[in-house]
Amino acid sequence: MTATIGATAGPPPQKFRLRAPKFALAIPSIIWYVFLFVVPVVLVLVNSFGTKVAGTPGKVDLSSPTLERYREVIDGSFRTVLKQTMETSILGTVLCLVISLPVAYFLAFKVGPKAKVAVLALLMVPFFTNYLLRTLAWKIVLQPKGFVSNFLQDSHWFTLGQTLRDGPIQVLDSRTAVQLAIVYNYLPLMIFPLWVALDRVELHLREASKDLGAGRIRTFLQVTMPLAMPGIVAGLVLVFVPLSGDYVTAKLLGGVKGNMIGAAVAEQYFNAQNAASGSAIAVSLIISILLVLAVVAGVAWFAKRLLAINRNVKVPAR
Amino acid sequence: MTATNAIPSKPSALRKVGGKLAGLVLPGWSALVIMFLFTPIFFLVAMSFNDFKTIFVWTKFSTHWWGDMWDNTTMIDALITSIEVAVISTIIALILGTLAGLALARKPGRWTTGFVALVLLILVTPEIVDGAGQLSWFVKLEGPFREGLTPIVLVHTVFSSAVVTLIVRARVAGLDARLEEAAADLFATPIRGFFQITLPLVMPAVLSGGMLAFTLSLDNVVATSFVSPAGTTTFPNYVFGLSGGVIRPEVAAMSTVFIVGTLIAIVAVAMVLRRGGQSGTEIATTFTGN
Repeated sequence: MTATIGATAGPPPQKFRLRAPKFALAIPSIIWYVFLFVVPVVLVLVNSFGTKVAGTPGKVDLSSPTLERYREVIDGSFRTVLKQTMETSILGTVLCLVISLPVAYFLAFKVGPKAKVAVLALLMVPFFTNYLLRTLAWKIVLQPKGFVSNFLQDSHWFTLGQTLRDGPIQVLDSRTAVQLAIVYNYLPLMIFPLWVALDRVELHLREASKDLGAGRIRTFLQVTMPLAMPGIVAGLVLVFVPLSGDYVTAKLLGGVKGNMIGAAVAEQYFNAQNAASGSAIAVSLIISILLVLAVVAGVAWFAKRLLAINRNVKVPAR
Repeated sequence: MTATNAIPSKPSALRKVGGKLAGLVLPGWSALVIMFLFTPIFFLVAMSFNDFKTIFVWTKFSTHWWGDMWDNTTMIDALITSIEVAVISTIIALILGTLAGLALARKPGRWTTGFVALVLLILVTPEIVDGAGQLSWFVKLEGPFREGLTPIVLVHTVFSSAVVTLIVRARVAGLDARLEEAAADLFATPIRGFFQITLPLVMPAVLSGGMLAFTLSLDNVVATSFVSPAGTTTFPNYVFGLSGGVIRPEVAAMSTVFIVGTLIAIVAVAMVLRRGGQSGTEIATTFTGN
């Protein structure tokens, strides 16, 4: 900023303005991010090789770097929680995709412009409703004597009601509750990117596909989906990553059984005052996320190659 | 895959029925999803009209908590903190993000790749990781970094300025650079050119970016819970702190105020953008960070 402001008086000669580096306007951001993002993340990385200084609130001794904290993650109960977290996140992301895709498709291709704006506005209400308050609201809904429980037990048309009537239904403090609320919380985050991705697919490409004799399903699979793929992938990553690190949902609804690794990180920092161990868990989380993403990317790449080979066999050589 | 060289078949009766069904399935499913999204919010709002002392057991209708909530000074303080933090962090995020977005779109070079990578990294890093790191870092720095609003504001600006950067960049990239060049040719100083030409043109992006930064700040719980100094808490974190025990309907009432207030802010910004000539779909696209 200051670099450009420096050249104020009168009409600026061209060469005078060129003296500022190209990224001059980004310098404040660069300083900001280094100070508030890069240094903290590096600190997490460094601390994960340290040892807690006994009796201090979160001090880490780095004089003798050790992998001991990681061994604790791999050997201890953290591994189970980490595995559980990845399962919940993968299932949650897939569920979000499956639930969102028809909605996004409907929004992109099947509603008129006026109705589209109305539906988008409706979807934006939960999107912008505070995340913690939405999660808290699930606690009301899932109470043992709450809405869902009463509904399942009282409705006469519901045959299951008979079998479920024996006692209050315990959904709260379980992995089911966390899974449900997590899908709920990240659903709007999936619908919008998917809608934008599909919306950008040119209508006449879909029409051309149909004119050439492809049915709805083939048009969707072979024209619409491949064109929307970059957006879909972005949506998947932007849901999967924050979902894996979520700890609010688990803390509010999960109880002991529905723990997630994010809650373990917070536990280490706040209760055990052990920043070293907390850092190692956090780094393990990032490694797990990257591993899952790498495996998925690898499988996708392999599947694409396989399809390409398949296609090459069918089409006669030119 | 096998159907590559199949002859297009006549639409069979079965396919027609299928098409009709598909026409019902999509709107039906979408309606169900929207209902699902609104259900918990409805219950939270409804519980603010509960007579009993907790939001978890409904007894009978009463509005007394809507009056009582104003006596809970801790909660009101938390609400005020939330708004203060959101306003300050939005201003900072807008300054940082607008400048960086301009630089990215107008002065591309070798630096852009690295900088965009950093911005994307900020957007995809789980909040728990940077929250934990920021706590350790602030503990080391001490002083102002462990007091009052400062740590919370700083932490909120990181993510939101990254979002503003991308939105402004997208907008500027769609503008004609010759407009700014014309201003320079007509002897506008860089500062005048910025305030009279560039800024009005990027204003829609600044407005939507600001709205997003504001709501992201109000929404933040995880990083805030890490860096909040003793005695300072935001409204969502105040509620988070209560979550182990009894939650009185006044919390639901205040949450309703919080939610409705956020929505009013969004509608206001959307209306300004609408008058500026943007379509509803365009607004929805930018508002949701796409």
